[in-house]
Amino acid sequence: MSLINLFTRVIFILALSVSTANAASSITIENAWSPEAPPVAKVLAGYMKINNTSNKDIKITGAKSSLFKSVEIHITEMKNGMMRMIKQDNLKIKANGHTVLKPGGLHMMLIGKLKPVKAGMVIPLTLSFDNGETKSVELKVTTDAQPQMKCGSKCGSKCGSKCGSKCGSK
Amino acid sequence: MQSDAQSQKKGSLSQLILIISLGILALVGGFWISQQFFNDSNDHNMPQNLEATVLPDARSLVGFNLSDHDGEPFTPQQLKGHWSFLFFGFTNCPDVCPTALKVMQGVWKTLPTKQGETGHPKLFFVSVDPDRDKPATLKQYVQYFHPEFNAVTGHLDELDKLTKQIGILYGYDDKDSDNDLDYTVNHSAQIILVDPRGRMRAVISPPHEPEIISSNFQTIRTFYGDE
Repeated sequence: MSLINLFTRVIFILALSVSTANAASSITIENAWSPEAPPVAKVLAGYMKINNTSNKDIKITGAKSSLFKSVEIHITEMKNGMMRMIKQDNLKIKANGHTVLKPGGLHMMLIGKLKPVKAGMVIPLTLSFDNGETKSVELKVTTDAQPQMKCGSKCGSKCGSKCGSKCGSK
Repeated sequence: MQSDAQSQKKGSLSQLILIISLGILALVGGFWISQQFFNDSNDHNMPQNLEATVLPDARSLVGFNLSDHDGEPFTPQQLKGHWSFLFFGFTNCPDVCPTALKVMQGVWKTLPTKQGETGHPKLFFVSVDPDRDKPATLKQYVQYFHPEFNAVTGHLDELDKLTKQIGILYGYDDKDSDNDLDYTVNHSAQIILVDPRGRMRAVISPPHEPEIISSNFQTIRTFYGDE
């Protein structure tokens, strides 16, 4: 009886680990970075590209970091002539799609810096998903302006006519 | 008698002609002057092909009394004698403000002038969050981006005097919260270019590019001069 019980448990654990591996591998993260901020800054931002290779939408429901008191998902939006940061309850990554966090848009707001953060370091970040799983990411702290900041990515609907000619050459 | 009357008639006719001629001259002259004036505030007489929005008539910035990061006064006087870039924000701002200051750091790298030289601009980061942004914090914050950068702030009513003239908006979300980090500041993200007479000359809207700001600034500078 106890042998069967043990066998069932082993199967259960195996099944669980297999399903975890599948879901975790359907999320990949590229270009995770955080711009180095002045040492007096208490809040920083984290940016990245999140890919979902599965056939199901996946939501990030939370994030935390050992270097910060809390982490929130925010979006910067222009509203009534002002740049406004709006807290998001979750962040959806569409099935077979991706979501880009970049300056002036979606970002992880890293709140209440607990230790000095300098270029060359990494900020550990743990993302939680709506199915209860988590994934660890390392944000590379850098003083460089990232490629997302260049004209190319901004030449979408926002400023197509504004920088069209300049985009072509880049 | 008749010839007298005739010559009188002739005289009044030539007077009439003179008056009409003067009238026509005045009309044409007036039209010409108005054309000149009109052209003055027209695109034809303004720097062309800019991303920045140049004001046809520069707007004097007056009557505000703020302090810089060393506690020195920041009044309209501090905007005179050099070009200035103004950006409004706060230090607990993770995305928009550091991005803009990083852009300005890039602009400074491309400047053809050095500090103290004619035409070399100053940057003033205006904190609209004086409750949290104290001078010491502001100094460390802006000078991280460039040792030449300045930060200023002051009482809300004095900040309003400056922001209202420029058309900058700001406001707070969740300000009544207990946690001092728990509120956020919404603010306009335009970079304002002020001429050496302390007048608002151009508005640069986001998204900001260092190369574009830099070249636009040199164009505007060359066009209007450093006086």
